[in-house]
Amino acid sequence: MPVWELLSVELLTAFLGLGLLVLGLLVPKGQKRGLGYLAALGLVGIAALAFALREAQGVVWEGYIIDPFGTYFKLLFLFAAILTCVSSFEYIGRLGNGEGEYYALIILSTLGMMILASAGELITLYLGLELMTISFCILATYRRGDMKSAEAGIKYIILGALSSAILLYGLSLLYGSTGSTLIKDISLVVNSGGVTPLMVVGMIFLLGGFAFKMAAVPFHMWAPDVYEGAPTPVTAFLSVASKAAAFAAFLRVFFVALGDSHPLWAEVIVALTILSVVVGNLVAIPQKNIKRLLAYSSISQAGYLLLGIVAFSTLGVGAILYHSMLYVFANMGAFMVATVFYNADKSDEIQDYAGLARRSPLLAAVMLFSLLSLAGIPPLAGFVSKFYLFMAVIDQGYIWLAILAVLMSMVSVYYYLQVVKVMYLGDPPPGRPAIEVPLGVQIALACSLAVLFLFGIYPTPLTNYAFSSAAAFFH
Amino acid sequence: MITLNHYLMLGGVLFVIGLFGALAKKNAIAVLMGIELMLNAVNINLAAFNRFLNPDKVVGLVFAIFVIVVAAVEVAVGLAIVINLYRQRLNTSVDEADWLKW
Amino acid sequence: MIRYAWLVPLFPALAFPVIAFITRRLRTLSALVGIGAIAASFVLSLGILWETLTSGVTMEKPVEYALSWLALPGAKDWVLKIEAGVLVDPLSAVMLLVVTLVALLVEIYSVGYMHGDPGFSVFFGYLSLFSASMLGLVLANNFFMMFFFWELVGLCSYLLIGFYFHKPEAARASLKAFVVNRVADFGFMLGFFYLFLMFKTFNFRELAEALPHAPHMGLLAVAATLIFAGPIGKSAQFPLHVWLPDAMEGPTPVSALIHAATMVAAGVYLLARAFVLFASIPEVSLLVAYVGGFTALFAATIALTQRDIKRILAYSTMSQLGYMIMAMGVGSMTAGMFHLTTHAIFKALLFLGAGSVIHALHEQDIFRMGGLAKDMKVTTATFVLGALALAGIPPLAGFWSKDEILLAAYSNGYTGLYILGTVVAFLTSFYMFRLIFVAFFGRRRAGLHGHESPKCMTVPLIILATLTVVAGFIGAPFVPHGFSSWVYFGEPHHLEPNYFVMVTSTLVAILGIYLAWLIYGKEVISAEALAQRWRSIHTVLYNKYYIDEAYLWFFRRVVLGLAEAFHWHDRHVVDGIFDGVGDTVRWSGYRLRYLHSGSLPVYALVFFAAVVVFVLWVATPVIGGIR
Repeated sequence: MPVWELLSVELLTAFLGLGLLVLGLLVPKGQKRGLGYLAALGLVGIAALAFALREAQGVVWEGYIIDPFGTYFKLLFLFAAILTCVSSFEYIGRLGNGEGEYYALIILSTLGMMILASAGELITLYLGLELMTISFCILATYRRGDMKSAEAGIKYIILGALSSAILLYGLSLLYGSTGSTLIKDISLVVNSGGVTPLMVVGMIFLLGGFAFKMAAVPFHMWAPDVYEGAPTPVTAFLSVASKAAAFAAFLRVFFVALGDSHPLWAEVIVALTILSVVVGNLVAIPQKNIKRLLAYSSISQAGYLLLGIVAFSTLGVGAILYHSMLYVFANMGAFMVATVFYNADKSDEIQDYAGLARRSPLLAAVMLFSLLSLAGIPPLAGFVSKFYLFMAVIDQGYIWLAILAVLMSMVSVYYYLQVVKVMYLGDPPPGRPAIEVPLGVQIALACSLAVLFLFGIYPTPLTNYAFSSAAAFFH
Repeated sequence: MITLNHYLMLGGVLFVIGLFGALAKKNAIAVLMGIELMLNAVNINLAAFNRFLNPDKVVGLVFAIFVIVVAAVEVAVGLAIVINLYRQRLNTSVDEADWLKW
Repeated sequence: MIRYAWLVPLFPALAFPVIAFITRRLRTLSALVGIGAIAASFVLSLGILWETLTSGVTMEKPVEYALSWLALPGAKDWVLKIEAGVLVDPLSAVMLLVVTLVALLVEIYSVGYMHGDPGFSVFFGYLSLFSASMLGLVLANNFFMMFFFWELVGLCSYLLIGFYFHKPEAARASLKAFVVNRVADFGFMLGFFYLFLMFKTFNFRELAEALPHAPHMGLLAVAATLIFAGPIGKSAQFPLHVWLPDAMEGPTPVSALIHAATMVAAGVYLLARAFVLFASIPEVSLLVAYVGGFTALFAATIALTQRDIKRILAYSTMSQLGYMIMAMGVGSMTAGMFHLTTHAIFKALLFLGAGSVIHALHEQDIFRMGGLAKDMKVTTATFVLGALALAGIPPLAGFWSKDEILLAAYSNGYTGLYILGTVVAFLTSFYMFRLIFVAFFGRRRAGLHGHESPKCMTVPLIILATLTVVAGFIGAPFVPHGFSSWVYFGEPHHLEPNYFVMVTSTLVAILGIYLAWLIYGKEVISAEALAQRWRSIHTVLYNKYYIDEAYLWFFRRVVLGLAEAFHWHDRHVVDGIFDGVGDTVRWSGYRLRYLHSGSLPVYALVFFAAVVVFVLWVATPVIGGIR
């Protein structure tokens, strides 16, 4: 396959992003909404292309790997980006500035994630990571007059820069101890038993950098604050896509390049898993703000995804792929509801959701099923994906870890149902009108719900895709 | 004779100095400068590795150039964000930005 | 056609949501949707049976295809694989036809019977859901899927028994059916999970292939016995039979479809599907045979004294199911399935006839009826035909299939069960003709006058009556390439007609009819005097051996007593622990959140501290040369 065809998804994404940047300057002020539609439609087209090319395999210039594994993640990022764009129309339209740049940044960060998922070389990986992070820093501060948004921005840029400095130091040590930045060359050196102390230090620095992006405890401190302060659609995108991108890059680096030193870092991952699952779920309990609650829930989800890394098997990787895809729809569903609700009521406090079921049955239902899927209740897709993750670790003998994860899942039901209780049993504040949901958002909500039910009742098509991608990853 | 280890030590020391700055300074601009120091420590490492491991390939140097570019971008965005913060709170202390917590 | 077998359950499955959400207000349309769906399934089933019999699909060479529903690739082998699949062989093809035929006729009949009922549309919705689940159960190619539909038919049964939920008896009966079946289903579930642990598959064919390599016969016997708990519950065998008579609280078409022809036969069908399992363990087979035989006798004796027309039929159903299960136990799957088929037809006929009577009189006590033959000619004629078939009078359907069972018991050396079966044949003809002489021919006891039912009710009766006459010939011993060459286990066996067995069973049936005529027709022997004479036995039989009372006592005293104790324990010990755990969890949540002080330098410090800790943890052994 020619190079341009292998890279077509990335190239088109880049064109779309840059095109929107230019168009944003040309389109007159009143008609900028069209930019959002254009972004969403363009992403749908790119997603269709990526789906058509899902079996494509090839290496571009030694360091850029196109394979089903990477393409699976690219589809995931694209879905997340589409849902983000759709839920942004109203929200960003109201901010009244920089719509073109907003959508361009969303798409450029998607491009960064795609590069992360396909990078077979450390410099490429670093550039993808920074493209994603810096775009997100700008997006987090997008509500310019807002104190919380400004604070979220400063926290994300400083902590993000710090973490990437540490990651970069790790990369330099890895390069220094193997003499190459190509993942396949590094894996050759590691395979021949050349693990030096320098490399081990680099490895842990690298792990810290990735864990920061995953928001795994104890590298998660930034997440709740940034999630709360950033514009809601951005938070949604940040919580699903950047996490998944970190997992994609982590798998590539640690399973392929450093796969043979697995015993060295395995225990650290187990520790991260336990901490994430426990702290994420426990601290979610007292939260009063829906975005903060979902932030802690996403920390715990990082913990569940880490189970697949603990398993260190095809089943584990397949389970990560499957869970992260469904996590996109469940989490985006919940955040889309939060966005629409914010547009109507200017509030993110859970107590203000009282009686939402009566003000908008659709919103309440989507929130309900998204949360239940996150909690892993059958027949929703989250149940199947968690089941796979748990089976993956049990398969490797970590039964106690699975039990801990199940117990903490039960804790998560408690705080998810708190929200449900408020929505369904609470009385709406007097004089509040019914909430109108824009058509585009209605469609997006219906799609997320359909995905959650479809793959909960009949998971096989997606599991087959996920597992075959995972198998291709291990070749 | 200056060996690889000397450069690595220099890089390490610079990294720690930068880290100290990033952790201890209250002013957001100073924190960003600390982070710049850390990135430069990385650049020293990369250049040194390139020189001592395989000088005929320039991978390390290319990496360093990319790091410099990205660092510039990072600082540009960082400064913009700091200015945004300053406009709202009239100071740039990272310590006092603690509305979002718990 | 076989390729489209999956459509058979799909038609009614689609009809259910259509009726529930779209046509609910439009009663006629609801009925049409329901009947149309099941008619399509019926036509398809006919085609499937035809193709099965003509294209060389046999019990050894079935057609199977499946979608993988849930699959977990493990490190070496599959960790778990659950399919949603279809298995078409003569067994399932015959069963499909039986179910769709009876369901179709019952739905047509219901248009008249349920006319004017406020829940008309809902009724058709439930019937469609039931048909879909039952057909899914029949087609299932693995235990897991079968269990899924098994539970679903149980749910439909619950919904339909309690259809008149404003009647407290109906509500209680539906609950009873549900609870009793849950007990049985739990055993079934444990059994096939047990099998899964042994053989790592749910698939019937894979299990059959793996069975000879069973690691331990004892464990296999335990699994088989547990699975047999399923049929005991669903097919109302002793001791879990108590729910079936009460289930008669549901509308009569439901009794005909679910509690006579199809769902209760699912237990027998399960035994046929898993026949290889039971056949490989003689001890379990023996248990199956004796449970069936005992239930046949036990239920028949109770039926002798009952007064409610539907309850008599219900006990008769239990007794006949006992026959089928006995047939499975004595090793003749052919006989069991043949009787299942014919019984489905004539018992549906009898129930629908009874429904016609109830529809006319609004009365179920046979001793308040009488002389119905004059008012309801069609109903009477078809009912008598059904009763003759049930009694086993040649050449009607019941004769051939019952004979097959008796012959199987006789020739396989179960002489005791053969004699028992013959006695039951006598009892059957006696209680059926007791019913007929009292209700249809005797004097008008309560002055109730019937009237013939509308066409849509009598036409199904006539169709079923016709089938009752002809259906037996598909399995009659002198017919070549009949039922026994389609549905069999091992190799097709063709039993030679045994005239001793045939003549004996016919004679006892005629004897039963004659005795019933003497007592209830001509009334030369006083029923009152007999009841007085054998008072204690009569009381015991009339009260169904006091089994309900015994269960009630057991539940009241023992279970509720234990429940009290557990409740106290729960309240004070378990709740205490769980509240404590819950409080601790919540408390730790509230404490831990203060880690997030909101201060950026603290966050950075935590981040870096974590990196340092992990580096020390991992790198120290490496630097120290330990790794």
